Amino acid sequence: MGRPDLNRRHFLAAAGALTVAGSFGFAALGTGADALASDADTRVRYWNLFSGGDGYNMIAMLDAFRKDHPGIDVKDSTLQWGSPFYTKLAMAAAGNRAPDLGVMHLGRVTGFSPGRLLDPWDVGLLAKYGVKEADFNPELWRRAVIDGKLYALPLDIHVQLCFYRKDVLKKAGLLGDDGRMVPVTSVDEWFDVLKEARKATAKGLQTIGFWHNDQNFQWWFFVAFYTQLGGTWFDDANTEVTFDTDKAVRVLEFLRRHVADGYANPGYGGGAGAEQFVNGAPFAWEGNWSVPVFSGAELDYGATPLPPVFGRPATHAESHSFVLPHQANRGGAANEAAHRLAAYVVQHARQWAAGGHIPAYTPTLSTAAYRELRPQNEYAGAMDHQATEPKVWFAGSTGILAQRVGPVVVSSTTGSAKPEAAARRMKGVLTDLLGTKNPMDGRTAAQGGAAA
Amino acid sequence: MTTTSAETIIRPARARTAAAGATVRRRQGFQHGGWFVAPFLALFALFVIWPLLRGLYLSFTDANISGDGASFVGLDNYREALQDPLMWDAFGHSAYFTLLVVPCITVLAFLLAMLAHHIERGKWLWRLCFFMPFLLPSTVAANLWQWLFNPGTGMVNHVFGLDTPWLTDKSYALLAVVITTLWWTVGFSFLLYLAALQGIPAHLYEAAKLDGANAWHRTLHITLPMLRNITGLVVALQILASLQVFDQAVVMQDFGPGPEESTRTFVQYTLEQGFTSYRVGYASAISIIFFVLIAAVALARMWLLRNREEGGR
Repeated sequence: MGRPDLNRRHFLAAAGALTVAGSFGFAALGTGADALASDADTRVRYWNLFSGGDGYNMIAMLDAFRKDHPGIDVKDSTLQWGSPFYTKLAMAAAGNRAPDLGVMHLGRVTGFSPGRLLDPWDVGLLAKYGVKEADFNPELWRRAVIDGKLYALPLDIHVQLCFYRKDVLKKAGLLGDDGRMVPVTSVDEWFDVLKEARKATAKGLQTIGFWHNDQNFQWWFFVAFYTQLGGTWFDDANTEVTFDTDKAVRVLEFLRRHVADGYANPGYGGGAGAEQFVNGAPFAWEGNWSVPVFSGAELDYGATPLPPVFGRPATHAESHSFVLPHQANRGGAANEAAHRLAAYVVQHARQWAAGGHIPAYTPTLSTAAYRELRPQNEYAGAMDHQATEPKVWFAGSTGILAQRVGPVVVSSTTGSAKPEAAARRMKGVLTDLLGTKNPMDGRTAAQGGAAA
Repeated sequence: MTTTSAETIIRPARARTAAAGATVRRRQGFQHGGWFVAPFLALFALFVIWPLLRGLYLSFTDANISGDGASFVGLDNYREALQDPLMWDAFGHSAYFTLLVVPCITVLAFLLAMLAHHIERGKWLWRLCFFMPFLLPSTVAANLWQWLFNPGTGMVNHVFGLDTPWLTDKSYALLAVVITTLWWTVGFSFLLYLAALQGIPAHLYEAAKLDGANAWHRTLHITLPMLRNITGLVVALQILASLQVFDQAVVMQDFGPGPEESTRTFVQYTLEQGFTSYRVGYASAISIIFFVLIAAVALARMWLLRNREEGGR
């Protein structure tokens, strides 16, 4: 009895010791990886939110930078997209452990306490590394400036697109001589297109996938069409809600009709819409980040900005942009290297464009290499027709505005609320939010949350 | 065994003033035992007591996530929370979830335990099958069911010949979470029931059999009464766990609040307020409200049960 028992104890003790030793070993490995690369004298810590195909492209650009700049060691960390990323960035900045460089959605910058959690860019330093205001769409640049200082350096804009299958559209007679979808300029025309496309669609497939029950997408689509109608949100001083419920109703009815008339199958919201598109559904409204997915599936497809059914072209656009998270003692070599890295990536965004995004650095747009990219060259014009959320602290990708208003749009699109009631609720939410103080600085939008 | 140990703990406390010797003995006892408990107490204080007190303090401030510039706002957060329709919606979802899960899981666990207990061959296999899902991390279970509920390629619609938009329609989304939870966690209650079943003395059944009681009567008059305590435990644990539902719901809805906000649970709302809206003070107030509500449910259950026990005597 005694002996085997002893052996078992020995075994357990050895296993325990091994575990402890192993964990120390891993910890040591971790510290080792954190150390500077041998021949580098400056390190840039860089946080981003790019996974999947975007992540791959970003890493390739970073590798190119490393090769060109052996003196700079780039330590990049990829974090989970969406709210968790912003939470971590905010807490790191507040705790003075912020990275040297970060990425944010441009729409979120206003609410991210610029000046407290974010440091402004040194425009002179950026110019030294080749990036200047004239190289950007003026509207985009204006959105990045707060209180007269540049807080975000746009890398791209990403837009909502109408993806279409050329094979199905050809069968339906909806493909022009140039091999692109016939132009659509009114609501009736659009539904005629859907009607024809449905006839050419294989059984078991819906006509269009458009995330009818996703609060982010429905909100983005709403912003696009509401902007097409010339709708506004607030007055310039951000003291009054100028939201036009009549225009909102027109947009909501338009979105609703896709489901009500059976073009979008309620069972195939969300990612299932893209699956259906791959399987042969003629249309999918998706973000331009779906380009690598559809190209990877080797589909014969095209992509245009959301159709200008209300006359004026406009499609929803957000922008990934570089930011400098607040550091108490920002400056010195790491700060300069951060400027250099950001400027480099912005200017070398050809690879980034392969992921579907439209490079913010306009000289790239006119290069032959970019013009050859398909379907990117079909929608690059969206740069000049951006529909964006208002520039207030509660706006921006997956921000409070989207979280509060998005579900209201969905309730109308899915049919559980009447468009009129939904429009009234939207106005109510906007009024509510306009009076709400930004928890970061205790000021309402009118009190300076959106000083331009 | 249990009674004696319980007495030794309780008795010195009562006799504190009566006998000085007992006090000395107790203090010596702490000197030895205290060191053993100290690591736990230190961690408990650091990670439970301190956050609890800190949260209580924060709930009276307008603290944001950056941690600076917080000022005292008295009961403002509580006042706002009690009038916040979204908070009550989220509480409603958690409560509705609890209402569905607790009875289902209790009955199901009991039935499965009866099955596994009475089956003659391959008992281990049944035990394993019923318990195994519980070993999965919540994310795995939720992801798995996300696939099963897929309207186009999912097994659920395929097997039952349905066309139900499980995850994308507000009338089904929470139900899908309930079904996932049932499958995932029934194993734990099942195990409790199984252990209790095996603890029922066989002679009771023999006696009943001799008296001519059939299987149904034996279940009704022996098994069920003998399992009353364990049922109480299962129900209590399930209520507490269900009210705190969070991870499977958010994973199944890709970290969103579900179709038309139909699966946003109370915990999720607290998280959103604190970490998306950056209102740490407000989120703390909501957590305290939630804590009080859960404590109220637990106390109500205890009170009901005690009444029943006293009534039974």
